Formats: sequence, C-alpha cells, structure tokens
Amino acid sequence: MASSQHVLLSPAELAYLHASLSLTPPIRPDGRTPTQFRPLAAETGILPGANGSARICFADGTEAIVGVKAEVERTAQRAGEETIFTEGNLLGDEDEDVEDGEAKEGEDKRRGYSSWVEMTVEIPGLRDDDSGTAFLAAMLSEALLADGEFVKRLWINRRFHWKLYIDIILISPPLSYPLPLLSLTTHLALLSTRLPRLKSEGDEDPFFDDDWAAAPYLFPRTITAGAKSTAADPTASRPPITLLVMAVGNNIIFDPSKEELAVADVALAVSVTGTTSHAEDTVQAEGKVGRDLRLLSIRTIDPPSRLTPPGVANAANAAYGTANGAAAQQKMPEARTAETEVVEGVWRAPRGGAKRIVLGALVQKVLERGGVVDEVLDALEGVDLG
Amino acid sequence: MASLKRSLDSDPFAANISSKVYVRSTKSGKVQKIVREVYLRQDIPCSSRLCQRCLSTAPRDAAGRATPFVLSETPAGTSVFPQGHYLVPDTNAFLTSMDLFEQSSAFYDVIVLQVVLEELRNRSLPLYNRLIGLTKSEDKRFYVFFNEFRLETHVARREGESVNDRNDRAVREAVAWYSQHLARTGAKKVPAVVMLSNDRDNLRKAKQEGIHACSLSEYVRQLKDGDTLLDMIPETEDQETIIKEKRPGDPLYPEYFSMSRMMTGVKNGLLHQGIFNVSPYNYLEGSIRVPGFPKPLLILGRENINRAIDGDLVVVEVLPKDQWKEPSTQVIEEDTITKNENPDAEETGDSVSEKERKALQEEVRRTHSKMTERHAQPTAKVVGVVKRNWRQYVGHIDQSSVSQSAQQGRKQDTVFVIPMDRKIPKIRLRTRQVAELIGKRILVTIDAWDRSSRHPIGHFVRSLGELETKAAETEALLLEYDVQYRPFPKTVLNCLPKEGHDWRVPESTDDPGWRDREDLRDLLICSIDPIGCQDIDDALHSRPLPNGNIEVGVHIADVSHFVKPNTAMDAEASIRGTTVYLVDKRIDMLPMLLGTDLCSLKPYVERYAFSVLWELTPDADVVNVRFTKSVIKSREAFSYEQAQLRVDDHSQQDDLTKSIRTLLALSRKLKQKRLDAGALSLSSPEVKVQMESETSDPIDVKTKELLDTMSLVEEFMLLANISVARKIYEAFPQTAILRRHGAPPKTNFDELTNQLRVKRGLDLSVESSRALADSLDACVDPNEPFFNTLVRIMATRCMMAAEYFCSGTQAYPEFRHYGLASEIYTHFTSPIRRYADLVAHRQLAAAIGYEAVDPSVRSRGRLEAVCRNINVRHRNAQLAGRASIAYYVGQALRGKATEEDGFVLKVFSNGFVVLVPRFGIESLIRLRDLADPEPAATYDAETYTLTTSGSREVTVELFQKVRVRVTDQKDETTGKRGVKMELVSVY
Repeated sequence: MASSQHVLLSPAELAYLHASLSLTPPIRPDGRTPTQFRPLAAETGILPGANGSARICFADGTEAIVGVKAEVERTAQRAGEETIFTEGNLLGDEDEDVEDGEAKEGEDKRRGYSSWVEMTVEIPGLRDDDSGTAFLAAMLSEALLADGEFVKRLWINRRFHWKLYIDIILISPPLSYPLPLLSLTTHLALLSTRLPRLKSEGDEDPFFDDDWAAAPYLFPRTITAGAKSTAADPTASRPPITLLVMAVGNNIIFDPSKEELAVADVALAVSVTGTTSHAEDTVQAEGKVGRDLRLLSIRTIDPPSRLTPPGVANAANAAYGTANGAAAQQKMPEARTAETEVVEGVWRAPRGGAKRIVLGALVQKVLERGGVVDEVLDALEGVDLG
Repeated sequence: MASLKRSLDSDPFAANISSKVYVRSTKSGKVQKIVREVYLRQDIPCSSRLCQRCLSTAPRDAAGRATPFVLSETPAGTSVFPQGHYLVPDTNAFLTSMDLFEQSSAFYDVIVLQVVLEELRNRSLPLYNRLIGLTKSEDKRFYVFFNEFRLETHVARREGESVNDRNDRAVREAVAWYSQHLARTGAKKVPAVVMLSNDRDNLRKAKQEGIHACSLSEYVRQLKDGDTLLDMIPETEDQETIIKEKRPGDPLYPEYFSMSRMMTGVKNGLLHQGIFNVSPYNYLEGSIRVPGFPKPLLILGRENINRAIDGDLVVVEVLPKDQWKEPSTQVIEEDTITKNENPDAEETGDSVSEKERKALQEEVRRTHSKMTERHAQPTAKVVGVVKRNWRQYVGHIDQSSVSQSAQQGRKQDTVFVIPMDRKIPKIRLRTRQVAELIGKRILVTIDAWDRSSRHPIGHFVRSLGELETKAAETEALLLEYDVQYRPFPKTVLNCLPKEGHDWRVPESTDDPGWRDREDLRDLLICSIDPIGCQDIDDALHSRPLPNGNIEVGVHIADVSHFVKPNTAMDAEASIRGTTVYLVDKRIDMLPMLLGTDLCSLKPYVERYAFSVLWELTPDADVVNVRFTKSVIKSREAFSYEQAQLRVDDHSQQDDLTKSIRTLLALSRKLKQKRLDAGALSLSSPEVKVQMESETSDPIDVKTKELLDTMSLVEEFMLLANISVARKIYEAFPQTAILRRHGAPPKTNFDELTNQLRVKRGLDLSVESSRALADSLDACVDPNEPFFNTLVRIMATRCMMAAEYFCSGTQAYPEFRHYGLASEIYTHFTSPIRRYADLVAHRQLAAAIGYEAVDPSVRSRGRLEAVCRNINVRHRNAQLAGRASIAYYVGQALRGKATEEDGFVLKVFSNGFVVLVPRFGIESLIRLRDLADPEPAATYDAETYTLTTSGSREVTVELFQKVRVRVTDQKDETTGKRGVKMELVSVY
C-alpha cells in the first residue's frame, strides 16, 4: 500500500529530512509552512449521469474522481418498529401527517442505517480486496457514518430511503498515500450531490419531480437566514473530511508529501466534520461563518518510517529479532547493542509509540477554529457546483 | 490551497453541444437522472417555399432528394396580417383547441415546434396523435420544426427558470428567428410569423420582444368566419377573468388525492382502482368493479361520484359500513330532475340540488326501513381520477337552458348540452350561436370539470345537422360508437389489385396464384346467406363418399390472398376491426372491390377460397379434417328463404338440393351434440326494420324469423371455427388467435335466480353451462310461450362478453367458450367483415405450410394489441347496430299508435320497464305516466311487486304480461324522439 511504499532516499538523506522537519519552525522540502496545503485543482459535475461527482487533482500528480449515484430503495421493516402505519397516514387527517413527518415534540423521526451507503474504492494496480484498499474504504465510510447524521439525510419516509453508491476511483498511480485526496474528492462529490425533489407526502410511495433543476442538494448550500439551526439541523452540517496529519518531534505538519511521510514519527488520519455554528455572536465576532468542528474518528497510519528500510541485515532488524523469539536475542547479544547505537546523520526508524502530548496537540491543532480544516472546508465550499 | 474549474469554453465544439437533464421515474419505482446530449445543427430547414437558402442546405435522403418544403409561399392573410402569415401555436393552444386546427376553413401554414410537440405528447397522447395526423395531411401544411436541434433556436434553461418559462421562451425565440430568417429571403411579401398563445405573460413578453403574437380569440376574430370558430375556443381561455369575477365560494366537490397517494393506497389495498360505470337508470348511481372484491362497489350521489364520468379510470375508497346502501330501486333521470337549472347561475352553493336531495332522502328512508331484511351493499367514493376517458360527445342543446335573449343576437351565452349517452352528465357550453344550434345534433368535447362547477365545461366542435334527420342521426351513431366511417384513404386503395373488377382467377394452373391450391371447381358448392347479402364469406358443399361417409366442405373467401400483412390496407382493416351493419348502411372493413366482388364467393364465377374439408360419418362424427387453399365455383347463391323452399319442395331432386338436404340432416345432429354438451341457446330480442325500397324510409318492424337453413349454416360455421382453432393452436401454442367466452361469475345470476324463485318458484342452476341450459329449458310457463324467451333474454344479460385473445395469454382451461360449450374456438368464417378471421386465415395458411409465417401473426405483443382493438370494435359495432335499429324502430312508429303485448323486465319503486318483443324495444313506464295526479304506490322489493293506489289502482309484478300502447313522443324540452309506452291493462 501507498503508506508503506519506500521512498528511494538514503539513510543520510532521510536523517537530514528528519532533522530539518524537527526544527522550529520546521523547514519543509518544498518550502511550505507546516499547515500549508499543496495547491490542488478541483471541479464538480464531471459525470453528467451521476447524482453528484467531483474530480480533484493534487499538485504531485495524483488525481481522483468520485461519482455518487442514488437509488430509491424500500426500507426493510425491522422487528419492534410499528409496522401498521400506512392506514393512519394515507387515509387519516392531513394534520396528522404533518405531525408525523416533522419532529414531534422535538424528536427526529428520521432514522438511517449504515447499509444505505455503499462505498467502493479503486486504486489502479491493486485488487479491490487488497487489504490497503479495504482499509481506505473503511476509513472513508467510517467517517461518513460515524455520527449517524449522514444516513438520516437519505431518509425519504418510513417506507423508503435513498441508497447511495459512492464510487471512488484514483485515476493516477498511487504516488503518495491517497487518503486525503480521496476524502476531499468524496467530500466535494457529496457537496455537489442532488436528489430529485420529493413531491409525495407522508409515507406514500415516493413520487418525484421530473425537473432536475428543482432537485435539492443533499447538503444544501445556503443557510436561510433566520432559520433556527441547531446542531442536529441537517442544513448546517457538511460531509466529513479526513486529513492526514503527521508529527516529527513536536512539529505538527499537515498534508505531508511522500518524502515527509517517510520520516514521520506519527501519522494520523483525522476525520472531522464542520457544523455551522449556531451561536450568532461568534459569527459576528469572527466576521465570517463560524464553524463548529467535530472530531469523528482518528486512526493511526503506519508511516513508512516505521518500516525497516531495505538493506538492513536481519541481525540489525528489530522486527526480525522479535519475530524469532527470545532465543535468537540470547544468541546474539552484540547485535542488540549494535542496534541501540545511534549514529548522527544516519537515519534510524523511530521506535516506541507516539507521545501522548504530541497526539493531544495534533488533535487540538486540527480542531482549531479558523485553522487548517476551516481553510480546507472553505476552499471546497468555494468550488463552483455547476 | 487553490482550486480551479476547467471551463467548458475551452472546448471548440461546446457551442454545438448542449444537454438536457431530467428525472425519470420508472414503473418499478426506480428514479433515474437522465442526461441527453443535444447536438445542434444548422441545416434544419425552415421549410418555407420562399426560402432558397434552406433548400440548398436541407439534408437529403439516400437518393439525394430533399423533403419537399411545406409552408406555402403565399399563405393566407388576415385583417391584421394582410401580407400573409405563418402560425406558431404554443402547447396550450393545441391542448385546448385542437378542433380549431382541424378546421378546413382556416389554420393553414402552421409551424409546429418540436418543443410544443413534445410537451403535447406528455400532456395528451390522443391530441398528439391528432396533431401528427395534421402534420401528415398535405393540404393543411403543418410543418414540424425541430427548434431544439437548430443552433439558432436552441434555448438553454436559465438559472432559476421554470420549465414552462423556458419552453415559452423557446417558442418566442423560434418565432423571432423565423421572422428574421424569412425577412432575409428577399421575398416581396414576407409573411408574418404569428405566435398563438393564451398565456398572458407569454403574450406580454412577446410584445416586449417585438414579435407578432395573438391570443386564440384575438386571432380567430381576425378571420372571415371568425364568429363560428369563436365557439370552439374553450372556456379555459377566459378562466383568469372568470376566476376573478367569481366570488371565492366553497368548492362543490372534494379535492382529488395526489397521484402518489392514490397509487400507494391502491398498492396497499386500501384504495381500489377500476373503471367507473354509471347506472343506465339512475345517473346518480355508479358502480365500479375492482379486482379486490367479487362484486362491484356502489357509488351513490354526486359528491361521492366526485366528477367521475362514465368510463374514467378512477380510484375509490370504501365508505364506512353505516353508509352502505342497497342499489337504488328508483329511476332518477338527470333531465327531469335538473330540468330547470340555470346554466349561468352556477354558484348556488351545494353540489346536491334541492330536488336531488329530496330524491336521495326518499332513497335513504326506503333503505333504512329494510336495512334489517336485505343486506346493504358496500359503497365507495371516488377519491381521484387516474385517467379520464373523455371523448367527443354527441348531444343537443337543452332548450330550457336557453335564455330568451340568446335566441336572437350573437351574444355569448351559456347553455346545457344533453349528451345522447344518458350516462354522461350535462355539459355546460358557451356559445355565440345558440340560435343556430338549437334543434341540431352537435358534437362537443369536455374541457374540464372544476371543483367549483356542478357540471363539466365543454366546447362546441361541429354541428352534424338537424335532429332526427337520417344523415345527422347516423353520423351521430357512428361518432358515438367510434366507428371509422371516413372513406378509405388513397394508400389503402392503392393496395387493391390493378385489374379492378376485371380480376379473374388465372386460367392457367401454372400461374403463381394456383400454387398449392386445390382445384375444387367441379364440386357442387352453394352459398346460403340473408337476402341481399353482397359480401358472401362462406359457401358449402357435401357429397357422399364410397365408404358411406360424407364429405362436407366449408369454403371461406380467401381474403388473406388479397390483404397481405404490413400493407396500408391491412393496417386500416386492423384498425376498423369489423364491418358495421346499420339498418340502412354498411361501413366496410375492406374496400368495396374486395368485399363485394373479388373476395365475395359470388355464384357462377371462379373464386379463391380457403376450404375446410371433413369426412363425417352419417351420425355427424368427424373422421378426419383437412384444410387447403382452393379455387371454387359456387353454383348458386341462395337466400335462407330460397334454400328453405328448395329443401322443403320434394319435387326438387337435383344433386345440389340433395346435398343441401344432407347438410341439413347433418347439421341437426351436430346441433343436438352441441346441446348435449351444454351449449346454451340464448336470446336477445332481434327485430328487422323493413324499408320502403325507394326512399328507404322505415315502414314496418318485424321480428326475425328462424329458419332451419340458418341453423344449417351456423352449425357448419361453428364446426369449421372449432376445427381451425384446434389446428392453429396446435401449430402456434403461444400465438394462436382464439375466441373465448368466460363462464359468468355466479353472482351475476343472483338477482335473476332470486326473481325466478320468488315469482315463479323456478330454480336456475348455474354450476355449468349444461346445468344452466337445462334449467333454462325448464323455465317455461305453459300459458305464456314467450316466457322462456324472456328468461333467456334476461339470462343473456347476465353473461360475460366473448372476447378474442392470444393463446399465450391464457391457460388452456380458460380457452373454453361457455356459450357454445366448446373447449376451443376461433373466428375463421367471415374474413371479409372481421379482422380476427383474417388473422386466423394467415395463421392457418402458415400452419398447413402454404406460406411462411409473417412476423405480425407470430408476435404475441402485436396480436394482443390486435385482440384488444378488435374486442372494442366488435362491441361498438354491435352497440351501433342496435342503436341504429332502435332509432329506425322509433321512426317506423312515428305518428302511429299501436297496442302491443309486453312483459315487465324490471320493477322500480317509481316505475317499471316493459319489453315489447314485437318491436324489440324496452321502455320505462313511470308512476306519473300511469295517471294524473301521480298515484301513490308501495313497492315490495321482496316480491318485486309495485302496487299503486289512489288515482289508478294496478299491481305490477315482475315477468308479468301487460298490454301497452306504444306511441312515439318527442320530448319538447330535450328535442329527443323516443318511444313512449302507456299501460293499457294488466293481464
């Protein structure tokens, strides 16, 4: 998988890279600031037949397209739910309908299941059941499904829902770890996704407007002023994004390039979602739409730095040693000592876990208001959904 | 982080490519986003004969010819556009006033825009088909301009623009382009391009953009005969003003459910969908047969009927049990109850008028008193209409609805039109020509039925002529039963053999026409038909065989030789489906040349035939059967009477007569076998109108006589049909065209069984056709020979209708013909007058290897479509025939008063129906017809007895024989002549 791809850098080069990234402020090979993203090109609506689609091209040449297709599906009745509801709704009074459809006593009747979203990831040159691909798909859908708010959007009525097929294709060779690219593209595709406008009411068989121009966005763009937007208000939230953040020493670096990743102490995939802030005063205070960022999931990624580089003798390989058991260690005490020796200017894979304090700072940095995530979300928001 | 979007402008062909995006919902519930790419071109011609430029670039076909241009170089002018003009109507203009465009006096040189055509197709398929018909007719000069595909006129939808606004803009854009384009032709008189629209907003915008635009009525006023055409512009045009004028009163009818709500309800079985039928006796009572229940549901009262019109496909909701009712025992006729309604004063509040309400109250009282004894029937109310089945209706203006002032002057007035079909409600009509139209048969269409209007609103289409003139009444009949009566088009006539009447069977047997044909010219073949029959379908022969058996042949006109599949003639015949026989007129399925000459098995000439040849034992058992194409020469064409005389005359001992006698003997045995198997002999009152030979005015009415020779022909035709059905089913198990007669559901007979048991102590068993046949035989009244026929007539009305079907659509046991008690049946013997027979001929020819199977007789889908059509046509033809007889019976009785015997068919609480077998007519006698003042009456529903007291005391029972005076009567208010019966005495 991409994350474990070896960069063809010598131990000396790696050591140099590591050293320059550990400086305060860090010096990145391409001269970016730690929070700066590489430029990217994005467009939406590239697949006319899909409900929503996007293409993003990173500066390193990796490019992904995502298509979102929606299908109406009958919701399977689950045991324990009230099953006889059609009578009341179909033939009963109109006002009863309204009550049922809207939040009754503030309770959201909509309910969603994660099976309503099917996500496939395709990486060129890899089988679709490759563990890396499966892991990527799991991470991306996990972010989407984590809080259960997303699938609620797919609820049509108690008998029907939209089934969403999200097809994510990396169309360039996997030059770097593609997670951020795929996530951003998916985010953009979901932003541009529109579902046909529902014309029927209540629990009737759904009936849709045949005018595509009238189809509303799955994530409506404009928040109508004055409408009360609570945290649960579906119009305010945005699809999640998953960012790759790494730390070298105490420096936190966003959007690492392949080379930077090769010397990372820690690499995390952090999924966040932005909800427009409901506190009016914050909006005014910051002069722009305030966003509440919510952390959805964190996963550690094995950075290639933790893998043994090629050309290391088994004797010097810690991983090999542990695998062979204590007996081997006993036999070669000199090998153990050789390993612990640190030579200045020669790269050695970092050992041991990430420091708690670094992890904490990392998450803090991601969730910072007006920080990197805000910037990314704003940029994606700014892409024209033609 | 920066983002950029690739702009489409970088694509050099972007200007030529556009796309159209919409959402399609499929029947199975799928919802798809559909994207269609549109490639814009510049070579779509304007099709004006003025234009040279388009002519040079117009696309050419494979032979290098361009389609000739349609629009005239000198189009007609109007008072506003003296230079001549082309019309560009918008969708609404077609939707509301298609009749106008079909006028021959105006509306020439019309540009039909693609956007309009497509919208029309989505809104109304019948109107679309009519428009397509117009574009095909050469003299009307309608041209379909594909504006969406032409670069200059293609219009992309703007942000936030509705589809309708976009389409309107497309129309305006096209008009503007046409004007500019024509101006550049350099013609001396450049015709104006005029947009026709009733949409004010559209008209306003057109004015702003500086293009010619008129509303329909503005335009029609510019024409010479504008006033007459003005009536054909429907109500809806002025709707905006009307709505403003109207005070916002409560709507009279409940609102319909949304389509999705209805469909969900139907799927869940909570609502029911079916065809709405109105009771012929009570216009406020309808019934609907739904798949969910064995018996039809009742729909009572205006509000529950909720604007449904007979034949509409509606969705109903069952009412709670406390609102269940019995079907009405009362006759309620719309013209009497709502006679004095004022068509202008519509908003009197409730949909149920005072009188109607009174009638309903009586109804309720009656049902309530008996609720315990007889079970009420479930009732339902209409909650929505899935599909309207509105067509053009023939009717006449209700004179009582005409105000005095309207009699003179050309002011627009609102009147009621009473449709000829009693089941259709009165139609409100606005017209300027009341004075001319009174006393005429007129054709109207229904435009709309708003919630706020008690009656549907329609507009005038055309006048058929004076009431009670033969031409008008005949045309009315044909229109009412949707019979295609226009002359055959040229394309059809082109399919006829070039030799015309001089066509002969080729002399040389080497001719390709003789291929695989048997030479049966030496056989003693004759035909037996009604007097004056010209289209002789069938002929017969018999001859003894050396082994003691008898060879019998049935020879049917070989129509399939002349009418080949996939020709214009075949298409026309399949649409007509059947020949329609009216009293004085025959509307042919096939052109005269074929029907009465080349195909007809005329005597003394050689004709192609399709023969069925059996070897029968003297006991009429079939030993074997074979089918062959043949050439025959009929020796004689007998009428039934002539044949009967010849058979009865024992001095006649020639071979031909002997052969007829043999056939007669065999036919009796065949009939007996059929009856033993349980065939029913049913009955319907059939009469024949005798006409004066020169003026063809009806002078007398006679019931049809039954002769042995009729049954002779009938038996052998049945035998031929059954034999052919077996053969084609064997050859084409999936696609054979067959005819079935379903066993009637037992419940159909409930009423009759009960009536017979109560009144006569007779028992009708309906388990099988055999049981029914036997019990019908037992239904005799020793004192009244007609009683048996009466019961048979009533039993026939309980039956299902026989229908054509394609064998793959039913399981074998369902093939059964109930009435004939045959396992399998088809129609083979009358190909000149029935299309089904023609198909059977083709299939049989393929089955015996005479010719290759044509795809049209092998495709199940096409055959099913053919069956559906001919089933409808067949029924309509029957109804039209009966209506024609009824009309002529009325005319024959005109000015005469006769006393006749009649029988009581049906008893209501305020009247009863009497059938007079001599004239084959039935009529209602109301209580108030019995005496003046109206006698009081008690109706005993248990014994079907109506006892009057007071001014006249009689007791009328079901099945009773009565003496009635039959006169004709013209109802002054309705202008309708009808048979009127008065009760003279009760036997």
